[in-house]
Amino acid sequence: MAKNSSLAAEGLTSGAVLWKTFLASSVVLALGLIVLLQATAQGNAFTTETLRRTEVANTPSLVPELPVYDADGNQSTLRQVLAEGDKVWIVDFVYTRCQTICTTLGTVFQQLQHQIQLRGLDDKVGLLSVSFDPAHDTPDALGIYRDRMRMDPDIWRIVTLSSPLDRRQLLDAFGIIVIPAPLGEFEHNAALHLVSGAGRLFRIVDYDDATVALDIALATAP
Amino acid sequence: MKLKRFPPFALWIGLTLCLVGSALSIPPGRSLIEQSMAWHMVIQMPILFASGWFLMGGVWDFSKTSPGSWNQFGLTGFIAAQFIITYWMLPISIDRAVVMPQVDVLKVLSLIASGALIQTSLSRSPAVLQLFFVGYIVSMLISTGVYLATTERRLCNAYSLESQLSAGYGVVAIGVALACGWAYRINRLKPKTEDRIEGF
Repeated sequence: MAKNSSLAAEGLTSGAVLWKTFLASSVVLALGLIVLLQATAQGNAFTTETLRRTEVANTPSLVPELPVYDADGNQSTLRQVLAEGDKVWIVDFVYTRCQTICTTLGTVFQQLQHQIQLRGLDDKVGLLSVSFDPAHDTPDALGIYRDRMRMDPDIWRIVTLSSPLDRRQLLDAFGIIVIPAPLGEFEHNAALHLVSGAGRLFRIVDYDDATVALDIALATAP
Repeated sequence: MKLKRFPPFALWIGLTLCLVGSALSIPPGRSLIEQSMAWHMVIQMPILFASGWFLMGGVWDFSKTSPGSWNQFGLTGFIAAQFIITYWMLPISIDRAVVMPQVDVLKVLSLIASGALIQTSLSRSPAVLQLFFVGYIVSMLISTGVYLATTERRLCNAYSLESQLSAGYGVVAIGVALACGWAYRINRLKPKTEDRIEGF
């Protein structure tokens, strides 16, 4: 009898103890889930790249007004370039010495240019390559790249920053992270950025999805 | 819980690992974790975890420890540690720790805490519960590692694809090492654990 009551007492205390642990665990579980959901945009973005794309699609942002020059050495600003011709622009980021991803991007842009020419869309959609390496990409270097890519000047333009000091601001605005790679190259997240004539970055799509980018551009073109 | 009377060997190991791990977040050591995902995920993060493990092991005397009413069977500690480890395996968190120093401070503190929590929880839980949590963490490490090592998608904007591949193999190795370490420990502490299972 005595044994039984002591067991009952033990059962009670361990029950009470378990209740505390259950409460603490539940609080930790809830906090953990909140933190994880918060960090991943409600479970939608596990990489910085998907987060960047989700954010841009939800809240389009105005690109910064930065001085740029083109392959002919003409000075203007990024937003002035975008405002030309009342088009939607597909923008990519390159540096002309690049042998890796930019070459792929170059091919993607060539195919887009071909599509735009074939379908006569040059008054609706423009292509803009922005070099983030103004230290090396002089107007001459841009000119060589332009010729190499066989850019049609009515469709595809290339510019770089007038001042290397603006590089950070440019890359931050588009969410590009550039990291140095061996052989003096850079590695960077590459994608197709859709920007309106008013200079609003409103969508980012994979460079594999060039047709999707073109469809979105056409659907939103004025 | 009871404090140990003399700072034992484990405490010194813990302090050393803590210094080494933190030094990798401060220049000039920081350039290593900024440039290499493997240094970040495979070297720094496990060092921080281990430092918490040894610090906790060096400070508390678990043989004289009471079950702990808020952390019965180590359940609360396991859940917290699991969230911390999961969080720092997300590519988005790894990127943030590289780009934002304040996030990096949180990373250092939370990973040290996760090591300490796992040390406490393992000392309190029966083998089945340990198997559940350790098994979960190990399988998560191995599957994440295999994904990092085999995907052609660059997951962290802060690291090159090449760096990601080597980090992937390293993460798999950590998973395997953790599984072996746990199996060794459970085997060494066998009689004690069986008592606990009966108690459970």
